[in-house]
Order: sequence, then C-alpha cells, then structure tokens
Amino acid sequence: MLSFIGRRILIAIPTIILVSIFVFTLQKLLPGDPILVLAGEERDPAVIELLREKYRLNDPLPLQYLAWAGQALQGNLGMSLRTGVPVLQLIKDKLPVTLQLAAMAMSFALLIGIPAGVMAAVRKGSAWDYGATALALWGLSIPNFFLGILLIFLISVQLNWLPASGYVPPSESLSQNLKTMIMPAFVLGNALAASMMRHTRSAMLGVLKQDYVRTARAKGLLEPRVILKHALRNALIPVVTIGTLLFGELLAGAVLTEQIFTIPGFGKLIVDAVFNRDYAVVQGVVLCTAIGYIGLNLLADVLYVVLNPRLRAR
Amino acid sequence: MSPAPGSPQPAEPSHVLSVKGLSIAVHGRERSTTLVEDVSFSLAAGRTLCLVGESGCGKSLTSLAIMGLLASPPLAITQGEILFEGRDVRGLDPRERADLRGDRMTMIFQEPMTSLNPAFTIGDQIAEVVTRHRDVTPEQASGVALEMLKKVRIPAPEKRLGEFPHQLSGGMRQRIMIAMALANAPRLLIADEPTTALDVTIQAQILSLVRQLQRETGSAMLLITHDLGVVAEVADDVAVMYAGRVVERAPVDKIFDDPQHPYTIGLMGSLPSLTGRDERLATIPGSVPAPERMPKGCRFAPRCPFRIEACDAAPPPLIEVAAGHEAACIRAPLELHVTEAA
Repeated sequence: MLSFIGRRILIAIPTIILVSIFVFTLQKLLPGDPILVLAGEERDPAVIELLREKYRLNDPLPLQYLAWAGQALQGNLGMSLRTGVPVLQLIKDKLPVTLQLAAMAMSFALLIGIPAGVMAAVRKGSAWDYGATALALWGLSIPNFFLGILLIFLISVQLNWLPASGYVPPSESLSQNLKTMIMPAFVLGNALAASMMRHTRSAMLGVLKQDYVRTARAKGLLEPRVILKHALRNALIPVVTIGTLLFGELLAGAVLTEQIFTIPGFGKLIVDAVFNRDYAVVQGVVLCTAIGYIGLNLLADVLYVVLNPRLRAR
Repeated sequence: MSPAPGSPQPAEPSHVLSVKGLSIAVHGRERSTTLVEDVSFSLAAGRTLCLVGESGCGKSLTSLAIMGLLASPPLAITQGEILFEGRDVRGLDPRERADLRGDRMTMIFQEPMTSLNPAFTIGDQIAEVVTRHRDVTPEQASGVALEMLKKVRIPAPEKRLGEFPHQLSGGMRQRIMIAMALANAPRLLIADEPTTALDVTIQAQILSLVRQLQRETGSAMLLITHDLGVVAEVADDVAVMYAGRVVERAPVDKIFDDPQHPYTIGLMGSLPSLTGRDERLATIPGSVPAPERMPKGCRFAPRCPFRIEACDAAPPPLIEVAAGHEAACIRAPLELHVTEAA
C-alpha cells in the first residue's frame, strides 16, 4: 500500500514540472505588459527599463523560468506585481475561503446526490426515479451564473432572506459566514449533486443485480440493510473516486461563482490577477491549483484501493 | 389453469414443506406468461427431494418462490400455496417472511464466485446471519462463524475469518455459503445447483459435505439440479420438471429403475453409463417449447414417441402408477405401448 502511494507520488513529480513550464510559458503569451501597468500614467522609458531589470524580464525565457522555479521550490512564489504582497501570502489568505465554499458545495452534493441516486435506483421506473433524473438534467444544464443571478434575485432581492453578496470570515461570525456562503455553495454544488446522483444511480443499478445482494436477502436481512450496507458499500467505490476528481472541478467552477457573489476567494484572486497582468500571482495560483488537482487525483487512486478489498492486498 | 384433479396432496404434519398447485408468471407490458404451472410436491424433515429438469424448466423459479426471493415485479406467484411448517408463507408480511429466511429456511446458490459480498470479510458475512436471527453479542456471533468454518472443513479457519471472498477459491467460497446457510440450523435447506459451477473433483466433496451436515442438523433439503449423477447420489425423492410442470414424482430408485414419463425415460437415455456400450448417447428429438407458445395439452407431446391424439386435448394430470409414484402421462404405464412406438 505504501509503495503504491510512493509510486503514485513519483509519477506526480514530472507532471508538476510539466505543468509549471506550461503555466510559465502560457502566461507569457497573454497580451499586455505588466510593466506598463506598473509604470503608471507617464510611462517613462527609463523607469520601464529599470522595472524590467528588477523583475528580470530581459532575461531569456528559460532563465526566467529557472529563477522562478528555484524560488518556488523554496516556497517563494514572488511578489504581486501590483500590490507587492508575497504571492504565497495571498494564496494563504484566499485559499481557505474557496476551500470552505468547495467543501460546502461538496457536502451539499453528497447529501443530495447520493440519497437521491439510491432512491432512484431502488425505485427504478417510478415517479421518484423520473423526477430525480429530470431534476439532475436540470442541475447539469443550468449555467452557474444564471442560477446564481436567479437566486440572488429571488432570495435576496425579492424575499430578502439572505445577503446577495459579500463575505464574512468565520472567525468573525460563523452564522454570518454561513449566511453569505450558503447560496454560492448551493449554486456551485448544484451541478455536482446532479452528477453524483446519476453516478450513484447507475452504480446502484449495477450492484442491485449482483448475486451477493440476493444472498443478503436470502439471509433474511431487511431491505434497508440490504441496500445501505450490502449494495451501497459496493456502489460507493466508483462514486467516491469520481467525487474526489469532481472536487477539483469545484475549485475551477468557484471562479465564476465567486465573481457573482463577490466572494474574495481563490477564483476571484486569479481573475483579478489575469486582468491586472499580475504574472507572479497567476503563476503561483495556477501552480497551486495544478498541484491541488494532482493531489486529488492521487487521493482518488488511493481511495479506490482502500475501498476495494480486491485491490488492497496487492 | 385450475389445479388438475388429484394433484394436491393432503398436507401431512410431518412435512416441512408442501408446495401445492404453485404457478408463477412473468408480467410483461402487454401480457403475462406463465413460467411455472401447477407444481406440487412435499418434503419431510431429514429427507432430500431433488427437483430435476433442464435449464429453463422452472426449477430455480420454484425455489426462489419458496424463499420469497422472486424478482417481483415482473415475476409473481399467480396461484397455489407454499406451506412451510404447516402455514402458508404467502400470507406472511414481508417482515415475517424475512424472519424465516436465513433462519428456518436457507438457500445455497449456483454461483459461489459472485454470491459473497466482495466488500466484507468472511467472518463478518457469516456472523451477520447469526446476529440477524439470534440474540447474541458480536463476539458470540463470530464464535459461531468460526465453529461453522470448522464444520465446513475450511483449513486455517481463524485466519479465514478476516479474509475477503476474493482470497478464496470457488470451492472454498461455496463452503462459506454452506456455513452461512447452516449457521442457524434451518428446517429447510434449498440448494440451487450448488456444484454446477465447481470443478468435478470439488463437486463430490461439496455434495458429501452438504449431505453430512444436513444429516447432523436434520434439515430437509430441496436440491435443484440437472445432473442425474447428483440425483442418484443424494436424493430420497425426485420430482422431474419439464417446461414449467412436474411430469413425474417418485422415490429415487423408482425414477432410475422404472421411469414412467417419456421425458424421464429420455433423460435416463442421455445419462452416460459406465457399464454402457459404445453406442451414442440417446437424445430427445426437438426442443422445449417457448413459454408463450406452450401446447394446450401435454407439453412434451410434440417430442414424444408415444403421442396419441388425446395427448393434445388437455394437460395430463399426475396419475399414480404405483404406490408413491406418479407420472403426468395418460399413456402410462408405457410398457403397453413400447412396440407401437418403436
């Protein structure tokens, strides 16, 4: 098991290096020049040249990359070109906000998606099944931004139940924090819940046909136990793996949701950085996201083995 | 569709199981098709009844119906009674039915490779059936599990308790299924082709193990098989099924020595014999009619060398041809007609 994890980590390293090169070159291709942003209104050529020297922007690209990567390995992702705040600090500030949002969205997806999927499979062909499937289709089809705006209009503007935007850190007031986060979490988790429901449904339908489910019934076990223990335990193996991978997509999906609800998270950080041509921040954030993604992939692999006794022994 | 006259037997109190006029149908979108029709047999404590027939003749459906495990819908019992220890289990609510399963009546399936849950340990799966039906602590239950593993002669039973099904061979898994089925000392054990999926060498071991444990517990056994070798080995009584109906019912020696239904005779003809000569195995011409295209009269008639016009008129009832020996053939005893058929 440990050697399996070790092997997976070794495979992840070249991937991270490739990603970092990709990120580094890609954002060099972005139109616009950060120095022009920094130099201010007057754009004195001497100042521009000085700034270029300072940020080593006159070096050849490979050298620029090595300098950046070397520092990054030491935990120094550079400073924001715009605010002068260390990139690592920005990430440390913003990441927890997005993680909370993603975790809430994920819990929401699991709490809705898995029970709905189980019910749809057990009552296959019933009104419940069709209802859940139709709702899932709706959940997958409706764009985040539209649902977000719709909810803001209904719940915040019309009914005045929840604040339309803004963010309160949980350290300040947990209840206020939840009030501001619950709507974005719903919007973000909506499509995921739909996807979890469909995966759970199809996995359960497959498992319910298995001989061991019949054995469980032949043992005299009552239906809730047959379904929740014997069937669901096996159906969850693929669902958990997929859920872990989808968590990564949540982080990406957060970009839009955070914009709509003006939540100062990771997604907003990256969008602002791109608009401001804040190279260092973009690099740092994308690198961080990529590592997170690779980490989640690793976790999905490990979970798959942990949950599946047939693979565990090897 | 009404049960043929004389078909149901009077229920004797000693019978663990009495099936009377059982019919099972599959309900499709447009119509229902009867798959099992008017099946009756009974089984006393400690006895073994073999339900014999080729695949698709309804023997597995009959056993699942007794267990209350028919996939319903689309399958459903349309007629008949299943008397278990004197009461009709069809009248029980699902909870009472489940209370019987795994405790008073248990079942072993054909496919040991897929019948155990891959996600749980052997010990957990055996102990579960004990805790479900008995008031025991988890420790006591796993004590029973260990004891059962010893009884089914699994090597290193302590170690096996913590292992998963994929770590065991097919024969070992079938032993686990047997351990699970006998853990609560059932009154009725249903074994649906328990050795079909196993290697020939393992088959005999499993069969003798089941037989021995059945004797120890005094359970009645309903053994579903298409293997006449198995029948000869373990059966006390035999019921032969063809196309959803019982065509002959007799003690095992009568079935082999003096089969009365042309289908049973055909089955015997396709049994390879050690003493037999170098002749080709006999086969029954034709094939089983599809359930939705069953003949109105005797279902075997289209393949039968003894067929006469009257055979097509109505389904033949089981006729007692000798004491305790019944055949659903209007031409029985067939000895009278052998010359004309040949």
